[in-house]
Amino acid sequence: MKQIATIYHILLMASLLALGSCNQFLEDEPTDRIPADEAYNTLSDLQLNALGPIYRNIGGSGDSQGLQGTARGVWDLNTFSTDEAIIPTRGADWYDGGIWQNLFLHRFGNVDFTGDTWNYLFKEVLACNRALERINAFASSHAGEDVRHLRAEARSLRAMFLFYAMDLYGRVPLFTASSPTVQEMKLQDRSVAFRHIVSELQAAEYDLLNERSPRHGEYYGRMTRPVVQFLLAKVLLNAEVYADDDWTDDFRPDGSAMMWTVDGEQMNTWQAVEYYCTKLQDVGYALAEEFGDNFSINNEESPELIFTIPMDIYDYANRFTQQFRSLHYNHAAALGLNAENGPCATIEAMRTFGYGTDGQDFRLFQTYYTDEVYLENTFTPVTLDDGSPLVYYPMEVRLDLSNSLYETTAGARMHKYEIDLAAMSDGQLRRNDIVLFRYADVLLMRCEAMLRDGRAGALADELLNQVRRRVSMDDRTATLESVLEERMLELAWEGWRRNDLIRYGRFTLAYTDRPQLDADVKGYTIVFPIPGETLTACGCAQNPGY
Amino acid sequence: MALSAMGLSLAAQNIHRADTVARSLSHDVVTADQVSQQQVTNPLEAINGRVAGVTIQKSNNGIAAMNAVRVRGTTSVTGGNDPLIIIDGVFGDLSTLSSIYPSDIESFTVLKDASETAQYGSRGASGVIEVVTKKGAAQRTTVTYNGSVGVTHVIKNLDMLNAAAYRSAVTRQGGMLIDRGYDTDWQRAIQQTAFLQDHHIAFMGGGERSGYRVSLGYMDHQGVILHDKLRNLTSNMNMHQRMFGDLLNIEVGMFGNVQKDMTAVYDVQKTFYSAQAWNPTFGTKRNSGGGWDGFTLSNQINHPLALMDSRTQNKITHLSTHAKLTFDLTRNWTLTLFGAYSHNEVEIAQFLPTSIWSGGKGYRSSAKTESWLGNATIAWDKRVGAHHLNVMGLAEVERDVHTGFYTTTTGFSTDAIGLDAIQSGSVTLWDGTGSYRNAPSLASFMGRFAYDYDSRYSLTATMRADGSSKFGNGNKWGFFPSISATWNIGREAMMHEVDWLDDLKWSIGYGLAGNLGGVDNYMTQNLLSPAGIAPVGQRLAVTFDELRNANPDLKWEVKRSFNTGLSAAFLGNRIITSVDFYTAKTCDMLYLYNVGVPPFGYNKLLDNLGSMRNSGVEVALGLTPLATRDMELNINANVAYQYNKLLSLSGYYNDYWLEAPGEVDLVNLNGAGFHGGNNHIVYQIVGQPLGVFYLPHCTGLKSDGMGGYVYDIADLDGSGDVNIANGKDRRVCGQAMPKVLLGSNINFRYRQWDVTMQINGAFGHKIYNGTALTYMNMNSLPGYNVLADAPERNIHDQTATDYWLERGDYVNIDYVTLGWNVPLSQRLQRTVSRLRFSLTMDDLLTVTGYSGLTPMINSSSAGGTLGVDDKNVYPVTRSYYLGVTVTF
Repeated sequence: MKQIATIYHILLMASLLALGSCNQFLEDEPTDRIPADEAYNTLSDLQLNALGPIYRNIGGSGDSQGLQGTARGVWDLNTFSTDEAIIPTRGADWYDGGIWQNLFLHRFGNVDFTGDTWNYLFKEVLACNRALERINAFASSHAGEDVRHLRAEARSLRAMFLFYAMDLYGRVPLFTASSPTVQEMKLQDRSVAFRHIVSELQAAEYDLLNERSPRHGEYYGRMTRPVVQFLLAKVLLNAEVYADDDWTDDFRPDGSAMMWTVDGEQMNTWQAVEYYCTKLQDVGYALAEEFGDNFSINNEESPELIFTIPMDIYDYANRFTQQFRSLHYNHAAALGLNAENGPCATIEAMRTFGYGTDGQDFRLFQTYYTDEVYLENTFTPVTLDDGSPLVYYPMEVRLDLSNSLYETTAGARMHKYEIDLAAMSDGQLRRNDIVLFRYADVLLMRCEAMLRDGRAGALADELLNQVRRRVSMDDRTATLESVLEERMLELAWEGWRRNDLIRYGRFTLAYTDRPQLDADVKGYTIVFPIPGETLTACGCAQNPGY
Repeated sequence: MALSAMGLSLAAQNIHRADTVARSLSHDVVTADQVSQQQVTNPLEAINGRVAGVTIQKSNNGIAAMNAVRVRGTTSVTGGNDPLIIIDGVFGDLSTLSSIYPSDIESFTVLKDASETAQYGSRGASGVIEVVTKKGAAQRTTVTYNGSVGVTHVIKNLDMLNAAAYRSAVTRQGGMLIDRGYDTDWQRAIQQTAFLQDHHIAFMGGGERSGYRVSLGYMDHQGVILHDKLRNLTSNMNMHQRMFGDLLNIEVGMFGNVQKDMTAVYDVQKTFYSAQAWNPTFGTKRNSGGGWDGFTLSNQINHPLALMDSRTQNKITHLSTHAKLTFDLTRNWTLTLFGAYSHNEVEIAQFLPTSIWSGGKGYRSSAKTESWLGNATIAWDKRVGAHHLNVMGLAEVERDVHTGFYTTTTGFSTDAIGLDAIQSGSVTLWDGTGSYRNAPSLASFMGRFAYDYDSRYSLTATMRADGSSKFGNGNKWGFFPSISATWNIGREAMMHEVDWLDDLKWSIGYGLAGNLGGVDNYMTQNLLSPAGIAPVGQRLAVTFDELRNANPDLKWEVKRSFNTGLSAAFLGNRIITSVDFYTAKTCDMLYLYNVGVPPFGYNKLLDNLGSMRNSGVEVALGLTPLATRDMELNINANVAYQYNKLLSLSGYYNDYWLEAPGEVDLVNLNGAGFHGGNNHIVYQIVGQPLGVFYLPHCTGLKSDGMGGYVYDIADLDGSGDVNIANGKDRRVCGQAMPKVLLGSNINFRYRQWDVTMQINGAFGHKIYNGTALTYMNMNSLPGYNVLADAPERNIHDQTATDYWLERGDYVNIDYVTLGWNVPLSQRLQRTVSRLRFSLTMDDLLTVTGYSGLTPMINSSSAGGTLGVDDKNVYPVTRSYYLGVTVTF
């Protein structure tokens, strides 16, 4: 027995010894990826690896990724919840467990991608924080290097993602660490987030250059000073909504009474919006000659564009799915592309565009496909499988078209962007850069700010009519009403409708196919519910009403 | 169950002597004799239904479909549920096992208890299947040929509307009728009668001190779907040689195979969804342009014959070689050195023509795994009187080097050239090309102590340490002890009086086992991977980014299991029976949590929180009611009851509280109108078995006000309105995994004739008939065809409710083999020692109440298809084989 015990001991000792030397064997050095501390050692490394991924993710290829271009993300939430666009159920198509109906009807608790969209936005906020930590670490070890521009890019990018998050969800956490503590993650009141975003944008503004981001070159797709100025105007224009911490009480603070320090001067909200809009005019932004120049395959040179998502068939993975989802199967097939025959314009949109009336807006056919469709290059009509011509019926759209005669053909479809016949991946990989911010919006924002500041008159009219004259439409008097209408005409399907309707207090009203929900009238639906995982992590309460 | 006498594999052999004393009554061993009764070409089919608690399920009926094998259920939710396969001491996987020719296999031993699997440590946490291939022996040289030819045909398809009925249904509904004037059964149109042939020849011989066995096998199978084809060439060589007296025994073996398969089924669901739902008025001829007519209303499916133009080819090349040196140093000491190397390469080539994939798609890839394994064992064995002691120590290292690359092209201008020149595609997308390498390693030490007294009492204690490179410092090592004891009551003096009892044995064991199957490489480190192209400055550059959350604190998932069993043999071993009970708790369970963003950069985090319970009872019974010189009847049956419960999925990660949502969806429906939303069917819910149906309750059909019907959904939560979101009007209404599994094998011999029948069954689970939900929805016309009885039922709804949840119980006769051992004259026997013919019928009969194609869908793997029949089920087939075995 003693012998056994000895052997067992020896074995045990040997094992323990071997355990130590074995740890060497158990180190797996990765060779197909790089450790984090090797990727941020020069200014261009920082540009590439700290900021590069954030820029790459402004567009996206997967669901809920990117600010625009993909499905089930920011753009869908801002578009298909409004009176501008709708995804009707078409028989077996587009029912999808009821999410599109629920989105249109404002039953947002049953729209599962509200959480995925939040996760996307805050993934980018965290990436900005990581980038700033890396930029700061680099700066402290490289005293001579100027990192101000990089830092301002990261801060303004973060402010932009926070703006979208605050606009969609109301309350957001404001933190600067890449691994925030539970305390740092607490949701902040909307007004606090709003002021924070404004001050962050103002702080970044002058460290950025006055470059045109949409143009090919060193600043292509990057944050520049005009982009930040556009954002400041946009955020401030919604001040009455964003400064309101209780959005279900029927009361909003007065924008004229809110004062802001802008470039050292005191001004009220509307004056501040106008100030930033003017700055953009001063550096040379102007309307493109043609409305369509902004959406053409080579739209990079349009003088109107302020911020875009760079697109290319070969270089970037960014997708543009809006048209792909909207066009009829046969329509896309005739173009050699694919489509999903889903989203279309609402009846409200058709009425605003004056569809079928004498006062039809000239932008109707540049924005939508209606009625019979002819191929642009050959003027041959697009036909259905039975040989009859494809006809879109804009006024036949309903929330549920199943068993309707117009099941597959109801609704005007998205045009707006020039069709890229060289597109790949079903037509989702294409060359038209996706427009996020453009100067026509600036003119309309400025006009609206003047009206809200009680300064209606010739200048306000002029701003509105600049936009109208470009598309050969008659002049109108600028009123809040006519500006809202103009925004639908000019900016249809550009992702602003929900924002506009909420600012105008119209979002919770009923429209065709959308009855007002019981509690909708109180206004809780102007923000989306915050995902449960986030609430669990920070120990915060859900938004009211959800 | 204790190790079997057949258990000749690696560690088992080292303690072989200790175990021979505890002769097993286990049913967990399947030997060559049993296998050779039937004509199977996949070794896993040979053990299906023969071992209690082992579930073997083909993922589908595809030509190269993999089997999902579960030993005592699913114990981990993230991975590592496949049992460890050990072939002659070399670690392999299910794919390696499938490629071995069954005739080369001497025995299978299935290890289930922690004390048995302890010798394999973490890799054996989900059970072990030890395979021993045949070796040469000291006997006269023999050559054995084994061959079969067979045919497989489809016996059941879904009954969809034919063209006439389709026309009238579409017309009646006022939809757009696209009528091409044909009447095509698309399911039949993509099917064929499949021919199969197998040939195998083995040479065996040896002398007193050495032996060899060499075999060659060739398999050529067609599948029942057009173009499905599989070929496999295998070669197995084993030799052993004694040297220096009895000091050294050398065993060397090499196994190699090349398997090629080809299929037009690149997406199982798309293929069957298309074949079932495509417009039946279309014809089977190409159009004038050489392509296939489209039907744009059915955008989720394709022309079934256009799909048949796609090609996916897989080629698996496998080579493994091993050597084992056994030194019998003294009477008591044995030293064993073992080394193995294996090389596995999977090449995939795929071409999807432009008719089914925008721009076409060409894809080629190669994935290689090189695996190195070495171990040293020293054992000391001593008998003193009735005491028998065996002590063993083992040290082992393993490294697997995984490398691979892939490339994709699109933008094809012609479909004429496919996968042999993928540069016919003009576009190579950035993310379509890549390569990778990783090389995880494992190190293990084990000490084992086995004591036996008078073959009556035995005790085994094992301590094992496993270290993995996948974990961070401080968490690399896991320690997994186990202990087991056996009391052979039948050998007690008092029992010698009892004539009718031949054997009675009680065993008990407890042990820990680690699992890291769910842990990918580098998950504990913050590393940057190429993340895509961004415009940076004047150039385009690839950016690097962290693409997931790292968790530096990951550690081993641990399964703690207890088992006890009683086995007995009566009446001259005419009745053999055993009862086993086990219960296992998986702790520190790996689970991919949905986490908040913030604090985490991404919304998924793998962490060791949570636990799960698996327990069960296994009863096995072997009867030999008849055993005479002319006649013999053997009946073996085993029944396993298994119970699984998810205990917890929450805990603290540092300061953050993580908790899986109350209901996590595992399986969703797919197809037109099923994207997202409330189309989740199978869930994972804490407090419930893994994989439960959580659905709205349908009280029946109600009128939709337009002459049709919709599902009437109950307001379960009494809120006044119906909301079928999670947590609202939904309830748990059944589990996807069977509660009871049955396996039975009946063998009858009359003189030279024998009949073998294998029956398997599963009970207590449900199946969601998503196929019927889809094809009963009249709203899907005219784009998608519907079932023949759909117009009569006139349902205009595709809301997923429990209306289509059905009982999944079934009993299936897997095969019946009729064999004839040709009586040979004395003179003939000098050249031919054995000649046998056999006729086998597979899948003879399925008894079930399930209304879909077959109840034998995935009901064991917690993947994306668990418990849901959703337009992705291969047609039901039957096969006939004629086989011959001749030994010279």
